[in-house]
Amino acid sequence: MDLLLDILTTAAILYIVSAGLLLIFGVMKIINFAHGAFLTVGAYASLVAARIGLSPLLGLAFALLVGALIGMLIERVVVRPLYARPLDAILATWGLAIVIGQVITLVFGREVQMLPSPVNGTFAWPGGEYSAYRLLLVGAAALLGTALALLLTRTRIGLVTRAVIMNEQLARGLGIHAGMVRFCTFAAGAGIGSLAGALITPLSSIDPNMGVPWLVNAFMLVMVSGVSMVSLLVATLVFGAAQVLLSTYVSPVLGGLAIAVLAAVTLRIRPKGFSRD
Amino acid sequence: MTESALPPAAALTPTDVRAMRPLRRVVGVAAACAGVALVAPWLLDTYTLNILIRAIFFAMLALTVDVLWGYTGFLTFGQSAFFGAGAYAAALVFTHLGFSPGLAWLALGAALLAAAAIAVITGWLSFYHGSTALYASVISLVLPIVMTQLLFSGGTFTGSSSGLTGYTAPDFSLEAWFRIAGCVLVLLTAGAWLFVRSDGGRVLAAIRDNETRCAYLGIDTARLKIVLLVGTAAIAGLAGFGYASFSGVVAPELAGFVFGTEVIIWVALGGRGTLVGPVLGALLIEWGSAYLSGSLPFIWKLFLGVAFVLVIVLLPQGLLPPLARLVRRPWARRQSATDAAGMAGTADTAVLVESPVRAVADRGTPVIELAGVAKHFGSLQVLSGIDFVAYRGELVSLIGPNGAGKTTLMRCMSDGAERSAGTVRIDGHDIAHAAPHACVRFGLGRKFQTANVFETLTVAECLRMARVRIDKPSLWRRSTTLALPPHALAVLKATELDRKLHVEARHLSHGEQQALELAMVLALEPQVVLLDEPTAGLSLDERSRIGAVFTDLCVRFNLCLLLVEHDLDFVREISTRIVVLHQGRLALSGTVQEVVASELVQTIYAGSTSHD
Repeated sequence: MDLLLDILTTAAILYIVSAGLLLIFGVMKIINFAHGAFLTVGAYASLVAARIGLSPLLGLAFALLVGALIGMLIERVVVRPLYARPLDAILATWGLAIVIGQVITLVFGREVQMLPSPVNGTFAWPGGEYSAYRLLLVGAAALLGTALALLLTRTRIGLVTRAVIMNEQLARGLGIHAGMVRFCTFAAGAGIGSLAGALITPLSSIDPNMGVPWLVNAFMLVMVSGVSMVSLLVATLVFGAAQVLLSTYVSPVLGGLAIAVLAAVTLRIRPKGFSRD
Repeated sequence: MTESALPPAAALTPTDVRAMRPLRRVVGVAAACAGVALVAPWLLDTYTLNILIRAIFFAMLALTVDVLWGYTGFLTFGQSAFFGAGAYAAALVFTHLGFSPGLAWLALGAALLAAAAIAVITGWLSFYHGSTALYASVISLVLPIVMTQLLFSGGTFTGSSSGLTGYTAPDFSLEAWFRIAGCVLVLLTAGAWLFVRSDGGRVLAAIRDNETRCAYLGIDTARLKIVLLVGTAAIAGLAGFGYASFSGVVAPELAGFVFGTEVIIWVALGGRGTLVGPVLGALLIEWGSAYLSGSLPFIWKLFLGVAFVLVIVLLPQGLLPPLARLVRRPWARRQSATDAAGMAGTADTAVLVESPVRAVADRGTPVIELAGVAKHFGSLQVLSGIDFVAYRGELVSLIGPNGAGKTTLMRCMSDGAERSAGTVRIDGHDIAHAAPHACVRFGLGRKFQTANVFETLTVAECLRMARVRIDKPSLWRRSTTLALPPHALAVLKATELDRKLHVEARHLSHGEQQALELAMVLALEPQVVLLDEPTAGLSLDERSRIGAVFTDLCVRFNLCLLLVEHDLDFVREISTRIVVLHQGRLALSGTVQEVVASELVQTIYAGSTSHD
């Protein structure tokens, strides 16, 4: 039972952490290496929110807002000139990650900070118990996934976004302002990244480089998922399970490598990864 | 230019002298730099020497990243892993076996071997027919992560997170270390400089520009990239060995992803694709870090990050090229008069030479045979039951309405992985599942619909790429001659491209690019040439000229030409046979008269053929 819950919650965390990156990659075909930095931004935003006495829920909203605002700025200044140079975009966003990390270090110091979990203790039922906050994250992932799915399929913004994903030239020919779609997408992706950072902070400590290890796993998951939110769900479940199982039964080191290595091998065998088309 | 028209003589021709000039210049500059490296220890204090020796080893690593990224277009985050492998190989030998001169050599061998072995596996994973640039970068990202985790989990053997220290390493003085490392760096830089400018090194630029075209010129790009990765990994391993031997400390971070990205920052800031830029970038940034990170630790890193972002966005070529231009401008003006003639020449113009074509078997033997070839995408049947044979000296036109599967059929003939069923034989060889470069080796040449050349290479270099398979290019110098078969030369002459050998392909007109691609395909000395709509976008005049060239190729050189065409008038004029493809099947095959008069063609092309 615990193992199943471990897998489920791990997958949920991975999904939360990767969703923003996938959104940006799906629409813009750009890999945002500043995603890890957005996670860090979100963590510090929730720290600030807690210090000024906002409720945890408002803290999440605050993290989302801060991330989205920084995302807007970055899209305008740095990412926009690089649409035609996707590899350079990886590098520029990595440079941004360094800049963001250093600014955070300058403001907050490089020491590790802790933020108490808003939901303490365990959730118990006859015959077992489990960390309540981790269970809560499953709900959060489901909520996030549903919200994104609804946004993409049920709203006009979503329709336009999907049009750009499928065929940008055609979309542009139909009078869709692709630049605007990208701007919004990047802001949304950054915001979700930051929100994810705020969501995972109660589970880990906060420091200026906390985003980097997450970035690599999220990046690999997005690579195998292509552009689909559904394949991302499958990928997080499969690789999350592999990670948990390997960590439990073989060695934690192997477990830590599971996602990166398995994703790379998956892509070598099936370049399309988990996406269907 | 005028010189290049001279016929080659037995004595030292002006071109020979000119080819020697860059070599002499490199040797001169390298000797001067080595001199600086030898003298510098007397002028620098101990602290600076210490910093610079480390930086020199990092600069060697930067050099390898520049060759891979700047020249070949493969953005790698993983060179640090090879550096780490070399460093750990040395540290492990010194820690667990002890130190003696013999063991130092063993450690060096182990460092090179470890790095190379990891590179073989990485290369096999990263590069295969159809792999993307992004995928290779992904693997290069995974590699250092795996490496560091393995080092972390090595327990006392690898020292885990604290690494290895306190081992006995080669006991040289600081000055000696600086001189050795400095001279090795100079040698490596000079070697890399000669290599990337050599005929062999230009293949890297060709891969960066257009990998598909490379494959269809018979170059096994995947293998080439693996070899290149192994070579650069060995050099990175050497640098790691030096670093571990000098510093007496290794830590898992040396093999890590963050260090890998740091190397990219040095290369990007210095100037990718310049070799000297990345070396200077590594030296200066490491030196600056040592002084500034003490007093302004976070500001310095912040400054580096901002500089990196700015350079990537605004100056993708890095800082060296614009700085070099600034320095060169006043000086160049004075030189320009004397250099004017040389400039065009030294750029790269080889003398064209005719090379004999291999004797071709009799006219009328089959050269491409298809049996039962079919292709489907999922449930969509695009081609089915194609049986078709073409003979030497034939000019077969493949016609049919849009969507009949003409281009798909060409793809099935030139790439063994394309078809779903059936067999294809080229010049008697069953292509089975062979990749395009192997099909080319069987005697196939393919010209694409849109001009497919190497944009940043000159006309001469483009043609040389087509000869890579036949004339193995030198890895350290440029050849002064360019040997081409007579039909390729004829195409160059007819289109006056032979006067534009030094022009970069992207500056050619559309028609010239098409002609260049045709000449490149012919330079392969193929038995059968596939041409996909060769007249698309050409003027009427160009069209009739190219028609004459095609006929000549069949009649005089006994080649088999297979072309896909829409222009029925053109087809009628030049073909010896016409094949009609309709709804994925071969509907008709016959002489021009038979086919044009047939009911099917009349229906398909209703209106487009006049009853004359």
